[in-house]
Amino acid sequence: MQKQFMLGNEAIARGAVESGVKVVAGYPGTPATEIVDHCAEFGVYAEWSTNEKHAFEVAAAGSLTNQRAMAVMKHNGTNAAADFLMHINFTGIKAGMVLISADDPGGLSSQCEEDTRILIHNYAHVPVFDPASVQEAYEMTKAAIELSEKTEVLFALRPVMRINHAGSMVTFNPDAKPEVKKPDFVIDRSRYVMSAVVEKELGGELRPKMRHRWLNEKQVELKAIMETSPFNWVEAGEGETGFIGCGIGYAFLKEAEQIYGKKLPILKLSTLPLPEKKVLEFVKGLKKLVVFEEIEPVVETLIKELCFENNIQLEILGRDTYLPQEGELSAGFVLTALENVFANKAYPVPVSQYIPARTRTQCSGCSHRGLLIALKEVVKKNGGVVTGDIGCHDAGTFEPMKLQATIYCMGSSIPMAYGIKAAGFDKPTYALIGDSTFYHNGLTGLASAIFNKANITVIIGYNSTTAMTGFQPHPGSENNLTQDGLQPMDPGVVAAAMGAKVFRCNPYNVEETIKVINEATAETGVKVVIAEALCYLKFGRENKISYTFRNITVDEEVCNGCSLCVRTFGCPSITIVDEKATIDYSSCNGCGVCVSVCKRGALK
Amino acid sequence: MKFDLVIAGVGGQGNILASQVIAKCAMDAGYNVVNTETKGAAQRGGSVLSHVRIADSEIYSPLVPQGQADILLGFEPLEALRYINMLSKQGTYIINTAPVPTILANLKVDEYPSQEQMIAAIKDKGVSGYFLNATQAAKDIGNVLLTNVIMLGAFTRISKLLPPDAILQMLLSMVKEKFHADDKKAFECGQRLIQV
Repeated sequence: MQKQFMLGNEAIARGAVESGVKVVAGYPGTPATEIVDHCAEFGVYAEWSTNEKHAFEVAAAGSLTNQRAMAVMKHNGTNAAADFLMHINFTGIKAGMVLISADDPGGLSSQCEEDTRILIHNYAHVPVFDPASVQEAYEMTKAAIELSEKTEVLFALRPVMRINHAGSMVTFNPDAKPEVKKPDFVIDRSRYVMSAVVEKELGGELRPKMRHRWLNEKQVELKAIMETSPFNWVEAGEGETGFIGCGIGYAFLKEAEQIYGKKLPILKLSTLPLPEKKVLEFVKGLKKLVVFEEIEPVVETLIKELCFENNIQLEILGRDTYLPQEGELSAGFVLTALENVFANKAYPVPVSQYIPARTRTQCSGCSHRGLLIALKEVVKKNGGVVTGDIGCHDAGTFEPMKLQATIYCMGSSIPMAYGIKAAGFDKPTYALIGDSTFYHNGLTGLASAIFNKANITVIIGYNSTTAMTGFQPHPGSENNLTQDGLQPMDPGVVAAAMGAKVFRCNPYNVEETIKVINEATAETGVKVVIAEALCYLKFGRENKISYTFRNITVDEEVCNGCSLCVRTFGCPSITIVDEKATIDYSSCNGCGVCVSVCKRGALK
Repeated sequence: MKFDLVIAGVGGQGNILASQVIAKCAMDAGYNVVNTETKGAAQRGGSVLSHVRIADSEIYSPLVPQGQADILLGFEPLEALRYINMLSKQGTYIINTAPVPTILANLKVDEYPSQEQMIAAIKDKGVSGYFLNATQAAKDIGNVLLTNVIMLGAFTRISKLLPPDAILQMLLSMVKEKFHADDKKAFECGQRLIQV
């Protein structure tokens, strides 16, 4: 064994590779992204799929072919993959397989705050491990793979941001020699064909019902496994109030306990299904129980049910009944709860004082800024509405651009743009989507728009990378995760083949971009504008840029300090100092887009 | 022994490198170390808070609990103010007074507080520490990117946990050799700026 400092995501990748995982697939999403990158470094088959559903399918097929596998995604991605989850749960898997579904309590880097344990456990009845530390994330990944193979049930690991992106000393086994399995696909239609088929051997029962029964019966075996799981334990302490720490909730509980300075009765609980006997044993003699979990009251509700079924009278406090129902846990949060529970007081309403926020914007030199300002000019004149999508360009909805009117989930922009038209809106609508998102879940929306004779303009920001999550490749790139020199799939060519009218512009040229968007708007049908320019932040490092560098200057005779360049454009390299626009040359990348913004021509 | 450090700053100020230098030194000295960062879009000028937790026993949470930090290094005054409640009542801060205005302040949507207001608000918290203009000192040496090195040098004046030379050598091992001379200058400058 060896001890090394590593991030949670590296620990998960190590655990998987040490367990002999051979097929890894994912779609980038904070906080899970680096797991796939590390797996590629460790030399196993690893890919960025076009979306999480496909990643899940690729990995599951690996398992059915007798190779251990892992699918990696963040919580929104698990939503996108929910359809496949609700089938693979019923068929079961073959070689060990783990689904990594990383949650982001507090929505620190996400569009929404949610708890995927509900989807994976309560809904799909798949067992979930919830790690309390980086070390445990490593160990649970290994355990999940072993146990899934033993039970034939898919297992999931649900780390949170504070596990994925935390660094810690991890004891691991660099010399692990996992069993080498022969790739072999054994056809078993009774399992792997999910369809309303009559099962003759079972007295004519339909297969969906039979597989549902199989999964329900598996729960007995899974509960027995969790009963002796090393990831759940009891710590003795004083008093008649007991505390349950689930996953990272346990880490915060232990910190709070140390600060509070009294040994408390604690059940550390990191598995679903619950170890019911262990829970019942723990609550014996307690008057009150407080559950700390991220983020919905999943364990709290299950324990309430368990106590009800066993005629146990106990006050149970948690996210449902006592603690704030939203937001991330912390040691401070738990400590406040401890103090108030012992004082028999309500959880205090948190007081927050606004300190000027640092909002997200496009980088200096970003091609999206030119596209956003051009589109803003267009809709200012024609009263159009812009539906937005996920990606760096989404910051165009904040100050000062305030352009996109909606942002939901991956690929929503296109169907929403034509839904607005379907409702009778008489001005133009624009769907603004990035290239990676277009391949993730934009293609089918575009097909739907074309098929339904929509009249919209779709604008694809084609910057050749998934910039938001750290420059992962996608089908429009010249490489995938492990291979270079590929033929990029041009989204314009794809859209044209689907039947859209395709237009092209370089978003660094604002005038041209306005002209092209207006031309597209004037046509009827589904128009696709490809705003094509390399991501400056990624490709600038490789000396590949899609503009001619300009040394931007301010003509102080002409600048009257109107601040239009700051108020409408928001490039971080421009500020107003002593009533004049001022360029910060340490951050300006000379893209020249600002030149077209100044109506007086002071920026040159 | 338990030592909690938080470093508050703005994306691009070298906050994470500074935290890594201290974390690696502590590991070399045989301590248990856990760290994490709370960051918005750091690369795009967001707020960044690095947590470094060092102990000779088990560390549970990667986040420093509020009110428990032994030292807060503020690379920017507004970010120091944002996270000043992380500091323990017995803790010490070192704060760079050079402001980095927010986008919303530039747009006049928010008001960026004056230096006097921020310093007064920090002093109001009943914790003690030092203010210095690390950004100016870095510019005087010739590169604003040395701000984090000035702050590291200053850190070694108020914490006896790790030998200053070990921190400097660790830093040098993590940056290109052509920067070494300036890094040494900045580190020593940071040490001089704190009169304990």
